[in-house]
Amino acid sequence: MTKERILKGIPVSKGTAQGIVFIYETKKIEIFQTPILTVYLKDEIERFEKSVEKTKQELINIQKRINQEIGVDFAQFLDAQILMLSDTEIIEKVKKRIASEKKNAEYIYHQVINDYAEKLNASKDQYLKERVADIWDVGMRVLRNLLGLTHSSIVDVPANSVVVAHDISPSEATLINPKNVVGIATEAGGRTSHTAITARALEIPAVLGIEGLMNRIENGENVIIDGDRGILIKNPSSGRIHAYKIAKKKDKKLVKELSPYGALPPKTRDGRYIDVSANIEFFSEYTHAKKYGAEGIGLFRTEFLYLTRRGNPSEEEQYRVYNALAERMKPHPVIIRTYDLGGDKIFADYHEANPFLGWRAIRVSLDELDFFKMQLRAILRASVNKNVKIMFPMISTYEEIKRVNLIFEKVKKELKSKRIDFDEEIQFGIMVETPSAALMSAHLAQQVDFFSIGSNDLTQYTLGVDRGNEKISQLFDHFHPAVLHLIKKIVDAGHQSHIWVGLCGELAADPIAIPLLIGLNIDELSMNPASIPQAKMVLRAITIPESQQIAQQALSFRTALEVKRYLRRIIHRKFPDIEKVIK
Amino acid sequence: MIKETIKILNENGLHALPASRFVKTAEKYNSDVILIKDGVEVSGKSIMGILTLACEKGSKVILVCNGKDEKEASKALRKILEGQDK
Repeated sequence: MTKERILKGIPVSKGTAQGIVFIYETKKIEIFQTPILTVYLKDEIERFEKSVEKTKQELINIQKRINQEIGVDFAQFLDAQILMLSDTEIIEKVKKRIASEKKNAEYIYHQVINDYAEKLNASKDQYLKERVADIWDVGMRVLRNLLGLTHSSIVDVPANSVVVAHDISPSEATLINPKNVVGIATEAGGRTSHTAITARALEIPAVLGIEGLMNRIENGENVIIDGDRGILIKNPSSGRIHAYKIAKKKDKKLVKELSPYGALPPKTRDGRYIDVSANIEFFSEYTHAKKYGAEGIGLFRTEFLYLTRRGNPSEEEQYRVYNALAERMKPHPVIIRTYDLGGDKIFADYHEANPFLGWRAIRVSLDELDFFKMQLRAILRASVNKNVKIMFPMISTYEEIKRVNLIFEKVKKELKSKRIDFDEEIQFGIMVETPSAALMSAHLAQQVDFFSIGSNDLTQYTLGVDRGNEKISQLFDHFHPAVLHLIKKIVDAGHQSHIWVGLCGELAADPIAIPLLIGLNIDELSMNPASIPQAKMVLRAITIPESQQIAQQALSFRTALEVKRYLRRIIHRKFPDIEKVIK
Repeated sequence: MIKETIKILNENGLHALPASRFVKTAEKYNSDVILIKDGVEVSGKSIMGILTLACEKGSKVILVCNGKDEKEASKALRKILEGQDK
């Protein structure tokens, strides 16, 4: 009996599953050089033309599927691939060389593609360099078709598979069939990769970024994937399998019990209305938000627009996505957050020692004004729906808000002069996620229409802990009294200036945190859609005076552990319903 | 034959997306379309050709349209290069 082993990665899509490993890899292609007899040259050229035609159909089908999934015409990046494929310059060159060199189509085509790839690679332009991936994507497809190889297709995996891959390309990720795929594990990728987004959209448990995965796993192995804890368990013991089965059963029962709460209004037992909204990353997730009973989108992360496209989407493309989301969510509000991208995501040759303290989010936007203004225009145009609010990430100084505001007003003026409609009353808010913004929140509040507390980053920056670092991740705790005191300060400052204050971080979805947050007078909780029914249940069990008392008590403790112990104790004593959902 | 020098004003230069729009538009016309930059000449109906020209925003290209519908072609393609087509 082989021993159980646990591989750690990044949890990107919740849930657990047991299944059989299906290794998905693009097969290596070996290109042989063969002479072709003159009488067969015509056939060889025809064979080449047919492969190109077949590949074109494949790409068109993929494009259709992506657009269907996203709901708007977004897969334009495949247009470029289709054009590269049917490029007359390439095709003519290949045909001519087959005829003159009397060699097989695979060999010639591979050489021609290689020449172009090298030419682009030598370019100084970063964007062009990145198109090399597109050319090879297309080239490999044609070569596989020429060689009669199947594209190891993710569509055809057997039932009950945990798909294991080094990486899954965006076009392939879209083809994942949720009927057969019970889990996904990859070596590359992170929270915002296309694989992660697709997994979440399809509600398939996924763990990405597992180091050395491909060398440590084999086809047909029995594994458990745990998208809550971010682990993949090889050869799980029978005890382990049993434990997961029971936990899953319990989870299912709980989800069923909680689901009716989704449709109920998010009111405390004594009648205070609290906005409960959804954090989403991907346009199509709005269906989850609706299904689970969100009162709006509290955070629409826009990074995926950039990352899926491997480049900045045009104003038009962005507008289409923002506008479609606003339309579908009406009359509920949609808060669109401008790019929270690290500099390294935009410029491949940009590296820094400390990305979390570096050139990211609003800092990048304020330096790359064309890029920033394009996004502002797209958001403003979508605001004609009257339910769009705009939010800026990672504000750490007063000057930043002043600058953002100035640019925002300028863009509005430009739109007006071009007679382009937008909502003049659009709310303008910021994420409060740095200690400096929290401490200065009384001043910041006078410049904005709302605050949204990003509790994950606020915790990380306040405690000085990188949660990704395993050695110290136990120090990361958003129940730390230091964090709670800052949250109180932010809410109080906001209310003094008569603006509303929300919280969008994992804390918002934690059932033991909700009474505390309500006691601190938070006006809105934004969370991943699936947690919404549970949050509403908790809200409906508590009253404002009870939660204020809880908050007051919680603020008196010295450690995170004391806070959590107290919260558990009080819930055990007073709120048996809430206790049922605590893990 | 219509030959004109155009400054690329498209936000992203003539990158994959505008380049695909350019090629798709060029293909609609009968006229031959040629782009010249720094002495390098490529077919305006080939995306690979256009990409290898590496036209950044602000760079200058010569657009040549030759054929029955050269007027219309030239007008439509100019718009794309100047980022005015959307």
